[in-house]
Amino acid sequence: MNFSSKLIEEAVSAFASLPGIGRKTALRLVLHLARQQPEAVEQFAEAVAKMRRGIRECERCHNLSDTPVCNICADPRRDQSLICVVEGIRDVMAIEDTGQYRGLYHVLGGVISPIEGVGPAELNIDSLIQRAQAGGVREVIMAISPTIEGETTIFYISRKLKAPGVNISTIARGISFGGELEYADELTLGRSIVARVPYKGGGEE
Amino acid sequence: MHLQYFILTNFKNYESQRIDCSSQLNCFLGRNGMGKTNLLDAIYYLCLGKSHFNLPDSLLARHGADFFRLEGCFTLEGRQERIVAKVIPRKKKELERNNLPYQRLSEHVGLLPVVMIAPDDTYLATEGSEARRRFLDNTLSQLDNDYLQQLITYNKVLQQRNALLKQMADSGRYNAALTEAYDLQLLGPGRAIHQARQAFMGRFHGLLQEKYRIISGQAEAIDCAYDSRLNETPFDQLLEESREKDRILQRTTAGIHRDDLNLSIGGYPLKRFASQGQLKSFVLALRLAQYRLLQVEKKAIPILLLDDIFDKLDNERVRRLLGLLLEGGFGQTFITDTDENRLSAIVEHFGRDYVKYAVENGTATKIQAP
Repeated sequence: MNFSSKLIEEAVSAFASLPGIGRKTALRLVLHLARQQPEAVEQFAEAVAKMRRGIRECERCHNLSDTPVCNICADPRRDQSLICVVEGIRDVMAIEDTGQYRGLYHVLGGVISPIEGVGPAELNIDSLIQRAQAGGVREVIMAISPTIEGETTIFYISRKLKAPGVNISTIARGISFGGELEYADELTLGRSIVARVPYKGGGEE
Repeated sequence: MHLQYFILTNFKNYESQRIDCSSQLNCFLGRNGMGKTNLLDAIYYLCLGKSHFNLPDSLLARHGADFFRLEGCFTLEGRQERIVAKVIPRKKKELERNNLPYQRLSEHVGLLPVVMIAPDDTYLATEGSEARRRFLDNTLSQLDNDYLQQLITYNKVLQQRNALLKQMADSGRYNAALTEAYDLQLLGPGRAIHQARQAFMGRFHGLLQEKYRIISGQAEAIDCAYDSRLNETPFDQLLEESREKDRILQRTTAGIHRDDLNLSIGGYPLKRFASQGQLKSFVLALRLAQYRLLQVEKKAIPILLLDDIFDKLDNERVRRLLGLLLEGGFGQTFITDTDENRLSAIVEHFGRDYVKYAVENGTATKIQAP
């Protein structure tokens, strides 16, 4: 791409460094900003810069937060005896969106994969164990992807997490709601048959 | 089951080629290096999603081309199955069945059973144990897709475990709990694979001896024993016992990835004691038994690919092999040869429907029957 302006070129490179943004899209965004009022763009840039300056990890659950302790951890109405362990921040958002969970979270920041150079020390596992052993925790829910790396992580945490009175559970795996059986992949369907559950009636799980 | 036609685009030395097949016998004639074997490999690729010769996709694209495409139209139990492989080496590999891309390539394995018999098959006896495990895995994967899934899982866990052992050695910190996490994940697939291999050998053994007798014309006893440490010791115990050794050697030393087949003839190891002739008979018998087993246990009769075997085998064995082929029971067959007269004699012998192609530098031309 040939640019008449060095300023445009630099801005395009900056946008194109973002995930999911190619050079064409970056150019579109930059040209749009170039046509805006300077104050509006200042505000835009300031919002991004302010976010980065202010954002931090929650010191308890490692979720992103504006404050040292995040909104979820600080909320007294939430069930403090439940900890849901997830890989990343987006998983927290996904589970929050369901409206079905009123406990706390713990963000690991990934899963164990020696091939990728990720060992237990690179993840927030020690702080999870401390939280669980500090008392008051009844259940640790593993909401981790059912991949080999995910399974390893669950195994490892369950081995390390030896605290009296703390149950470890994993989220259910199987056929999705509203999904057609015949379109389910064989592995999922097979496991779902093996791990079938007693029928409770009324459609209520 | 048979292949109706297949189309190669930028595959090996073919730029663009369509081959219409006979449901019975198909012959590819041509001098060495003209691309006869590549046609067989294209069929193999369509059946199993990879090359028979263990070549990476980057070596399968025609020189200078950045992609290749294979299309094959099969008839399976009266239905039409159109398989298309679109491959951009190192970037994209897609396999479609009736215009529907597979989510996982491994799901395709087993749909279209195939056996290739090639002159360099003696590697099965002369090379290391990996060659024989591949033979086992290839056969079992075609028979049972669950076996393949277990194998894929096992290998992924094994890779992670080995990477961990290496890292722990580098950092000097041993993490027993994490090692154990991998051990536990190896157990399930490891046991399933061991069981499947053991059961397979029970069915395979008799077939192998029968085929060897026919091919060699000899009554000498041959054996093909499944050698696995899991035969005597439970897998969990093995892993525990090898923990220290694994730690020092920085890799997993026990498990089904170390299994082997002990091939022997008259009680002596094949590799060291057999003559060239016995060796060839043995591996040919292995392939024919593989074919027969697939045929018996799959609903579809496998496709048989015979690569240049008449050139490399002596007349006596060729005669016996042809006898076997003539006896029937074989499905669609593809043969390559360099000698037109020899091939014509074989074809006439067969008295079956056939198609002949002349292969010349990446172009195959149909030879009209006189």
